[in-house]
Amino acid sequence: MAQVPIQRHLLDNGLRVVLSRDPRAPLVAVNLWYDVGSKHEKAGKTGFAHLFEHMMFQGSANVEKGQHFSLVQAAGGTLNASTWLDRTNYFETLPGHELELALWLEADRMASLLPAMTQEKLDNQRDVVKNERRWSVDNQPYGSWDEKMQALVYPVGHPYHHSTIGSMEDLSAASLEDVQDFFATWYAPNNAVLTVAGDFETDEALAMIERHFGPIPANASLPAPPDMTVDALLGEEVRETVADQVPLPRIYLAHRIPVFGTDAFDALDVAADILGAGRASRLYASLVREQQVAQDASVFVFPIVGGASMFALWVTARPGVSIETLEAATLAELDRLASKGPSDADLERVNNLHAAHVAGMLERISERADRLSMYTCLFDQPERINEETSRWTAVDAARVTDALRASLRPENRVTLTYVPAEAAS
Amino acid sequence: MITRPVAGAPRPYRFPDFDHQRLDNGLGVWLVPLPDRELVSIHLLTDAGAASEDEEHAGIAALTAQLLVTGTERLDASAFAETTERLGIEVGSESSWDSARAGFTALGSKLDDGLALLAEMLRTPRLDPGEFDRLKSERLNDILQARADPGRLADESFLREVFADDVPYGRVSAGRPETVEALTVEYARAFHATHYAPNVADIIIAGAITPDDARAAIERHLGDWEGTAPTHRTFEPVQRGGRRVVLIDRPGSVQSELRVGHLGINRHDPRYFPAMVMAALLGGVFGSRLNLRLREELGYTYGARSSFDPRRATGPFIASAAVQTEVTVDAIRELIGQLERIRERQPEEPELAEVRDFLVGVFPLRFETTSGIASAIEPLAVYDQRHDWWQRYRANLETVGASDVHRAARELVRPDEALILVVGDASALRADLEAAGLGPLEVVPAT
Repeated sequence: MAQVPIQRHLLDNGLRVVLSRDPRAPLVAVNLWYDVGSKHEKAGKTGFAHLFEHMMFQGSANVEKGQHFSLVQAAGGTLNASTWLDRTNYFETLPGHELELALWLEADRMASLLPAMTQEKLDNQRDVVKNERRWSVDNQPYGSWDEKMQALVYPVGHPYHHSTIGSMEDLSAASLEDVQDFFATWYAPNNAVLTVAGDFETDEALAMIERHFGPIPANASLPAPPDMTVDALLGEEVRETVADQVPLPRIYLAHRIPVFGTDAFDALDVAADILGAGRASRLYASLVREQQVAQDASVFVFPIVGGASMFALWVTARPGVSIETLEAATLAELDRLASKGPSDADLERVNNLHAAHVAGMLERISERADRLSMYTCLFDQPERINEETSRWTAVDAARVTDALRASLRPENRVTLTYVPAEAAS
Repeated sequence: MITRPVAGAPRPYRFPDFDHQRLDNGLGVWLVPLPDRELVSIHLLTDAGAASEDEEHAGIAALTAQLLVTGTERLDASAFAETTERLGIEVGSESSWDSARAGFTALGSKLDDGLALLAEMLRTPRLDPGEFDRLKSERLNDILQARADPGRLADESFLREVFADDVPYGRVSAGRPETVEALTVEYARAFHATHYAPNVADIIIAGAITPDDARAAIERHLGDWEGTAPTHRTFEPVQRGGRRVVLIDRPGSVQSELRVGHLGINRHDPRYFPAMVMAALLGGVFGSRLNLRLREELGYTYGARSSFDPRRATGPFIASAAVQTEVTVDAIRELIGQLERIRERQPEEPELAEVRDFLVGVFPLRFETTSGIASAIEPLAVYDQRHDWWQRYRANLETVGASDVHRAARELVRPDEALILVVGDASALRADLEAAGLGPLEVVPAT
């Protein structure tokens, strides 16, 4: 597998910079990870990190509302941002000769967002975000599953207990003062990683980065990271049933597991693919094709780093199949893998699928930049991008069974079942 | 603060060169060698989309395409999945209105093994009765699921309501439950035997190949593929009725899914480029009129957009948004207002330039991946577009002026004939929609 080139630099104000040059196409990706996500939100302020992300597109000292989008698009670029539990990222991909435009835009809002903030803009984006919540959660079949799952897997008060989208009530309460505080606390160069990947000249890019980001002062009093401590296991079996506007019942299972970046997480990542990736996966072969008790099956791990991560799956029942039958069939497959372990063929299959997946991901400079930012922000190790396949091939059968036996226990399991509303009443 | 930087000099970009030939059996071969890539993408297209099925068996094209990946005469479903995935290959097979597509993206070293399996799948599929029954019931279940999802329900309902009764496009290409229910494996076998043949097929290979190796592999695995298939049906879509409002009741909805539109253009319409620029300006980019007004000014929605869906025959033009229930009527008025505005006045040059520059500038980004490049060849194969389509693409966009956009809007955007479709809570919406006078209202009860 070709190696992704990596050059690291550190500005005096603490901004971590990663460069990855690749001149094959005349394109450049700019990606910023701020080390702030919904886990940093205080009680009563759920959803604020994400609402704040929206405010970052409402202009800054030298950029009008809407101009961030219009300048990048007029340059032939694409852009967006996203917020999750651990972080907030902002990114642009554009023709290489427009690199400095993206750097200038990112630096302007990192340096001077607040002069552009108004109550009117906050009210507007609050409405937009509430509609985002209605669209993705409240008006969507099964839409509340991840919010409910987080609340069940993590105890009240834990930073992962609440969802990134937040509650309507807390969104309503967000004020301009919150915007000012949040910006002053978290949006500083020493709390961010800047990655540039693609077609650029290294000296020129470094000079531009220094010119635009160098003058931005560090925040000398960054808060200590939130306390993410949580027991390794739930300690009891947890069940909840939700009556929803869904035609078919669906079971979601989740378990607390070791965090992203650990060897055990890698083993569970491999296990998730053995169970859920492709038509030869254990759950598809057994539940969907052979027993025909499930309409679909999906298995995944959460790449999050605070205290404990999650190993989760869902299976949707075929009409006429009882929830008990589907759950028993699903657990039987988990138990079979945990007790007998994967075969050599299982490991060969998922390793080869994963290798193709990684190569596909790294074809896109935007994805390369995002992963370099991620590995730097979360672990201070951008070189992990070149270990994506070797970390997988290093996982043997014993590591898979050990990890499954340690985590996929009944007393560490949340079972969340969606049933059609009319059937429940 | 430093003022906005001036862009450097652009580096030129050319769509990669490709080679097109036809084998003796009629199979079209398109090779795009990209020597600096690790991956290879193979797309095998056949004129076996929904336009090639008859309405009585609507859905058979989609089910046949899906059934292909459930094994070959030699390998059953389990063995076929195991064999391909152990090579790191996930074979896809699906169909749309205008073609069926089977293929995969894999490491370049897997080209020959992967192509052998893909050819085996197309030429000697197992078409197993048990697997057919399973996929058919999964499809029926998916229809159930789609009707619970407000966005999918709105998409499906819009097609049903906007096209006249006998127009095939009045449904999703995967069929309706009534016709899917009646399908059998015999129909799938007959559809495969009739419509999968080299004279109506094209293979596109883009990525880590040398043309000689790729050609030899294609000859080896598909050179002796035999058979002749008929071509697709032709039809000319007609719209149902004029301006009207259809409310699909979905009790308890906290948002209304809006779909507003009418018939649009086909793939060969001479107004293709003005139409694309106009749709982008109206609702195709973040800074478009619909999104700026409904989202960034009014906060009614997370996003509003508009687009054409040009097919071999005339496809729909749709403007859409999901808006909170309370503002449904106002949001429809705003949306219609933008359709009227783009007809009434020619856009100012800066607004047009921004959109056009985006479409021109973003061009190379679409071709970053081998699968993106293979997909770009598809319209050349399926619609017989000129081979220099992508070489001329940016120039074609650059020549679109404000008067061209205005003319396209006057001809192609017709709010007076628009279907206004709403999926939402009728108990909260019916009276307001009746009072609004947006057109005759029909309420479809919840199912």
